[in-house]
Amino acid sequence: MTPDEPAAERGGQAEVVQLPNAARATDIALRELELVYAFIYARVGNRADAEDLTQQVALKAIPRLRQGAPASAIRGYLFATARSVLGGFWSTRLGLSEAELREDLALAVPTSPPSEEGVETVQKLLAELSDNYRRVLELRFLHGYSLKEVAAEMHSTVGAIKVMQLRALRAAAKLRVPE
Amino acid sequence: MNGKPENRVEKIVTDLLRGRRLKLRGGDADEKEAITMAARLAGTRQGPQRMRPEFRKRLARELEAAPDAGWMTRRAALVAGLGLAAGAAGGGFLSRTLEPHPPARPVAAIEPLSARWIDVGGIDEFDQGEGRRVTAGGVGAFVFRKGDAVSAVSSICSHLPCELSWKSGDGHLLCSCHPARFTADGKAIGSYGLTALNPVHVRVTAAGRVEVLGTE
Repeated sequence: MTPDEPAAERGGQAEVVQLPNAARATDIALRELELVYAFIYARVGNRADAEDLTQQVALKAIPRLRQGAPASAIRGYLFATARSVLGGFWSTRLGLSEAELREDLALAVPTSPPSEEGVETVQKLLAELSDNYRRVLELRFLHGYSLKEVAAEMHSTVGAIKVMQLRALRAAAKLRVPE
Repeated sequence: MNGKPENRVEKIVTDLLRGRRLKLRGGDADEKEAITMAARLAGTRQGPQRMRPEFRKRLARELEAAPDAGWMTRRAALVAGLGLAAGAAGGGFLSRTLEPHPPARPVAAIEPLSARWIDVGGIDEFDQGEGRRVTAGGVGAFVFRKGDAVSAVSSICSHLPCELSWKSGDGHLLCSCHPARFTADGKAIGSYGLTALNPVHVRVTAAGRVEVLGTE
């Protein structure tokens, strides 16, 4: 926040971090980082990587957090940092440039609360798939079935289900359901 | 991708559904769409996630400790053309001189309770300036030779409990779990403000043998 910004931005509805109240700044940062954590978790699918990446976002954002910015600006900055960190994560893990991955990472900033975001998107996405593809992904990911259990449920073999799972994941990735 | 792609993707899916880290390898890029989609499905299967209390506390500690990590003075900020930002911050957190990296915090050397000196090789077996991974009982270390002297740091990252590796071309230690890097003397590289690596006691005997203080 600079002295040149409009008064409405400084003292209106925007929530301003009052320096040097570091504890308050930390509280606001943690509240926003909770959303960032949910955003990252929904894209890496495991706690260990989500914690590691959230920590990276927090550490990178510290200078900005200390500048007394409005909470809304902090959120924007944290999500921008999260997208960059996620891009770097996948780029490193897959050995591809971030440009090659851009289409696959679903990094759009969520417009709805985390309680709705992700779950609704996945439901929309599954609904677009053919019956067999939707069923295999639902059983595997939503119901936690093992491959063997899915094969039994769908009256098929483990080998065939494995191939179907791969094809279903590829098909789901191509759907690009808006977030 | 090694083997059949459906087998490799199934292994990744199984790991994700068991809550394990994503461990990818060469060739997995061929199935990037399927893998990133599997991670998304695994990430949403239990609904939105919240941070664990312990992790939240750790983040809070790191955020609150950050002002000690070193920022720039108002004068330095003005010199750098950041006068407006410095003015807005009121200087409350801008109390240190401008530094490219946060100053390394002193960390204690590893002092095993049941310590003993363990031979890890002759001094001639260590290349000048190159890090060499050695094990001294329960202590893992990277030993560096400079002339006839040696130094050593822990082989475990100070951030995540993962093994480091020595990148000869770049001249730094790299964490296998995340993008953290350290110099040969254990200082963290970059702006994350990570703690330095623990030094490890090491010596060269009169017979030219390198010994590390390890465990029984």
